[in-house]
Amino acid sequence: MIKKLRWIETLNTYPYKNLAMEEYMTTHNVDEECILFLWQNRRTVVIGKNQNCWKECRVNALETDGGYLVRRLSGGGAVYHDLGNLNFTFMVKQADYDVNRQLQVIITALSLLGVHSQQTGRNDITVDGRKFSGNAFFRKGDFRFHHGTLLLDVDTEQMARYLNVSAEKLSSKSVSSVKSRVVNLKELCPGLTVEILKEKLVEAFSQVYGMEAVELTEASFPSYEIQRLTERFESWDWKYGRKIPFEYSVESRFDWGEVQLQFHVNQGLILDVVVYSDSMELELIEKISDVLIGKHYNAESLCETLDELCEALKQKNFRASASDVLNLGTSSLQAIITDLKSLIRDSM
Amino acid sequence: MNFPERLFYSKTHQWLRFLDDDKALVGITDYAQDSMGSLVFVTLPEVGDAVQAGEAFGDVESVKTVSDVYSPVTGTVDAVNQELLDTPEAINESPYESWLITISDISQKEELMSSEEYAAYIKEQN
Repeated sequence: MIKKLRWIETLNTYPYKNLAMEEYMTTHNVDEECILFLWQNRRTVVIGKNQNCWKECRVNALETDGGYLVRRLSGGGAVYHDLGNLNFTFMVKQADYDVNRQLQVIITALSLLGVHSQQTGRNDITVDGRKFSGNAFFRKGDFRFHHGTLLLDVDTEQMARYLNVSAEKLSSKSVSSVKSRVVNLKELCPGLTVEILKEKLVEAFSQVYGMEAVELTEASFPSYEIQRLTERFESWDWKYGRKIPFEYSVESRFDWGEVQLQFHVNQGLILDVVVYSDSMELELIEKISDVLIGKHYNAESLCETLDELCEALKQKNFRASASDVLNLGTSSLQAIITDLKSLIRDSM
Repeated sequence: MNFPERLFYSKTHQWLRFLDDDKALVGITDYAQDSMGSLVFVTLPEVGDAVQAGEAFGDVESVKTVSDVYSPVTGTVDAVNQELLDTPEAINESPYESWLITISDISQKEELMSSEEYAAYIKEQN
């Protein structure tokens, strides 16, 4: 039985650190205590543990805009966070873990604000079928967390821009996101702020569990441990390098002809790339494929590699005799490389 | 709920079938698959990886929930059931045929239960 309630908020909006704090509190929780953590991330797409980030998110667009890609510990689909979104996490051990009761805290907080919401079969929360809270869950031994989003005033245009991926040509054995119609709470409750919502959540937390919630501060966490966990969430291996192999085929038609690139990727590395084009010389096709194999599946680094290849070929064209170089003028070579780069940038 | 007698069970809800004194198949019990619901993803280790009694060797995802899978013994991963990567739902359909890995060179074991003891343990847990 729960004997102690604690709640904590943080000013930190760097997503990897928030996930680190969440993991730390979860795996250091004690019996008969429930902690409610309230947190926000700046521009971020959070994917489920077993998702393919390129299938669920326009990673290159997100990162070019200064956003962060985050892989969380829990399952489920991709969500977009900005400062118009408030996240909550319930951390509690197995014996007292109760998803319905935890969701009741959220539903109660909303009803304190005059919003009548419903729990769905997928444990999300909606108003008239429109979702404002997506929830996911993590279990490690006896430790449990249940976390979710609360859309308050999220930029839904940006959300759609990053999450609407035209990746029908990406085949991967990963968990797929489920699309939902969403609603911002501010639309239902004008004047609502993050501060007011937090206050109501803490009030509802006490009400549902029938006891006072005591505030906890992050100053009590060992900084080296938080730092170690933050670095793991930040790491290339965790974000992109998971063992979720996939094949991705992208194609486009340019002035000089049509081209199709077929990538075969595992653990974030290009194992193979097949280039099809009826209007490119075989030698150039082979060279492009050769330089891309073994590289990280990252738009900017692939573009850099193509630039280097382009320069090397130009040098060769300039110096060598006509017999061992491509039968291609430098300007058309440059045009092909530029178009391939934009194809890569748009499709990742 | 079904707990076959020829198997051994761990507190973290794995089953073991010994093929030899120091080699066993490991899977998830009927109780565990039932409490998690429809599985959509399985993460497994690689052949040759070391596993430790009481530590996670992989995880499974059901409806938006990721749960660690623990090894009841210390040893080396000898084989991995790759088919489950394509058909995680097989674990829900036939948990005792859907072995996850085989572990060889078993040197240490957690406290293991018989089918009868495991059934009593679950009763007590709920």
